[in-house]
Amino acid sequence: MNSRHSHLPVAMLLMLAWRNIWRHWRRTLITLSSIAIGFALSVLMIGIGDGAHNSLIRNAIKLGEGHITVQPRGYLEAPANHKYLADGKALLAKLDALEVPGSVEPRIALQVLASTANNSVGAGLEGLSPRGDRRVDMLKPHLVDGAWIEPGDLRGIVIGAGMAGKLKAKVGGKVVLMAGKQGGDSQAQLARVRGIFDSKVDELDDYLILGDIALARRFLEGEGADPTLEPVTRFAVFLDDPDDMAAWKARLKAALESDRVAVLDWQEMMPQLVQFIMVDDAGNYIFLVLILIMVVFGILNTVLMSVLERTREFGLLRALGLARRQLLALVFCESLVLSLLAVTIGWIMGGGTHLWFSTHGIDIASLMGGGSTAMMGSFMDPVIRTELSWDRVVQLTLIIFGATLGSGIYPAIKAARVTPVQALRT
Amino acid sequence: MALLSLHGIGKRYRQGEVEVSALQGIDLEIEEGEFVALVGPSGSGKTTLLNIVGGLDAPSEGRTELNGTDITTLKEARLSDFRLFQLGFIFQAYNLVPVLSALENVELVMVMQGRPAEDRRRRAQHYLDLVGLDKVMHRRPSALSGGQQQRVAVARALAAGPRLVLADEPTANLDSENATALLDIMHRLARKQKTTFIFSTHDQRVMERAERIVTLRDGKIVDDRRVEARHHEHAD
Ligand SMILES: Nc1ncnc2c1ncn2[C@@H]1O[C@H](COP(=O)(O)OP(=O)(O)OP(=O)(O)O)[C@@H](O)[C@H]1O
Ligand SMILES: [Mg+2]
Repeated sequence: MNSRHSHLPVAMLLMLAWRNIWRHWRRTLITLSSIAIGFALSVLMIGIGDGAHNSLIRNAIKLGEGHITVQPRGYLEAPANHKYLADGKALLAKLDALEVPGSVEPRIALQVLASTANNSVGAGLEGLSPRGDRRVDMLKPHLVDGAWIEPGDLRGIVIGAGMAGKLKAKVGGKVVLMAGKQGGDSQAQLARVRGIFDSKVDELDDYLILGDIALARRFLEGEGADPTLEPVTRFAVFLDDPDDMAAWKARLKAALESDRVAVLDWQEMMPQLVQFIMVDDAGNYIFLVLILIMVVFGILNTVLMSVLERTREFGLLRALGLARRQLLALVFCESLVLSLLAVTIGWIMGGGTHLWFSTHGIDIASLMGGGSTAMMGSFMDPVIRTELSWDRVVQLTLIIFGATLGSGIYPAIKAARVTPVQALRT
Repeated sequence: MALLSLHGIGKRYRQGEVEVSALQGIDLEIEEGEFVALVGPSGSGKTTLLNIVGGLDAPSEGRTELNGTDITTLKEARLSDFRLFQLGFIFQAYNLVPVLSALENVELVMVMQGRPAEDRRRRAQHYLDLVGLDKVMHRRPSALSGGQQQRVAVARALAAGPRLVLADEPTANLDSENATALLDIMHRLARKQKTTFIFSTHDQRVMERAERIVTLRDGKIVDDRRVEARHHEHAD
């Protein structure tokens, strides 16, 4: 009685809140489980989304130009065969000196016209290092006919099934590769189909021609490059730990970038993929919003109902001398306890489902009717493991917690408005 | 100086276009330690008057002085604290917080007063003992009879050490045996604590236990007299 105003210790507040939310335990359990299930569903949704996107990205990077790409400045904006890194040897030496943890793969990409006696199609010739290349690792398993190019085979190419169909080319068949030269002339190389792959990614199957880097380098020689300097069109840098990309990009930029050489990351190289993922994520967020609405109304309904039922009790408490703000705190605390419980149960359920699917995976290939999982020039692994980053955990917890707390505001205000006279008269 | 003095209290309610006058020109003084019954027919203004005295409702005119404080001038928050420390309330029903045991209900007001835990526990047990509920003090209200619940309310009101206890028809929901028993307990404690009581009632047998009877009719005091209280000191 030292100070003459009313006290409501936190322990008392929590005790009252706890007991009050269990007054209608069935109602509370239904609310809690609906929130928890909703939460678990969003965790799963987001987990599948992130898992699928990351799988798509990983494959896109392997099929594409690495985590970080070193290529001629201006190539991205307007690719052309005459844009190449003339002194590939010197650049490679610099790259090797940096000791990037991962691999550096020299490549020559050219736009060519591939012709057989039957047909001609535009194609992308990819000259790959005989040292071994990720793209080879990715496509080799999809070889459906013939064999892969042997080291030292400067005529051999591997083409996609789509292109083979259009050219009516078979394994062993001749294909003439023709490229325009700067200035108007053109140059040609004769190649032989050694193998045919079928990756189910149309962008690859219809367009890509793989050959030895030395085959492609002949075209650069035609453009006037000095073959002893080992010219390339790009270096694809693959990092062992993709999380280090930003740091390594900065280092490579500092070491290599000039008015001729640009250092780009995969997001800059594949802006359409980044956009596609953003759009796809937006779909997940809409689902999340729906679940949040459900959660908000669940809590609102439960707490508001219990507030409306307890008008008399609130009037009594106010008559006895409980301050308005304390009554507000009491009812808000009920929402708080409810949302803490909901988030906890939600994480147990959501975390559990996530753990299951992150180890067992979801067979999305069969979910999609056994068809191709190709999109955006890449493909998803047929079995997606859900992924959940700490950022997501924090984000989801805050969102759900914020929503549940937000929905506790109105009932609390409603309760605090009760006046003893009205309440006790009814 | 009187503990409570009302000066020209009036209360009007608007009901649509018409104004209902619930109280008119009420002047009343109540001394420390009085045990007063407020009687009158239904609608005569008993509840309205008790609510004004208790600072739950504001009069349309007039002043209420309690223990030297003009409560009509107090702001809502100060009034709330004033009720907590100076007043005890016993209502007709729904007196108790359902999720708290009898003991916790009695302690609640003392918690709000900021009394130390040990002190309030001791006081709560003492008063529950005095109203004869020491055996059931750990029960929740739903496990208590109506009479027991009202006795918990009496214990709660008194344990907090108020200057004035206001009871609006505390016995209305009780049978006459329980009603007179409750009144006897109230009276006994009032005497012991020198606590002032004002209670309203319809019940003739309850009225008989008062030391002073103030009669209201149509919002006016029509009779005010001291009487010889008739009490049977029950053992419980
Ligand atoms: N909120 C209100 N709005 C309008 N009129 C009201 C309101 N409260 C009370 N009244 C009126 O004021 C008058 C006095 O009511 P009050 O409740 O004080 O009577 P009472 O003596 O307590 O009656 P009872 O014995 O039935 O409890 C009545 O005519 C009643 O209708
Ligand atoms: Mg009344």
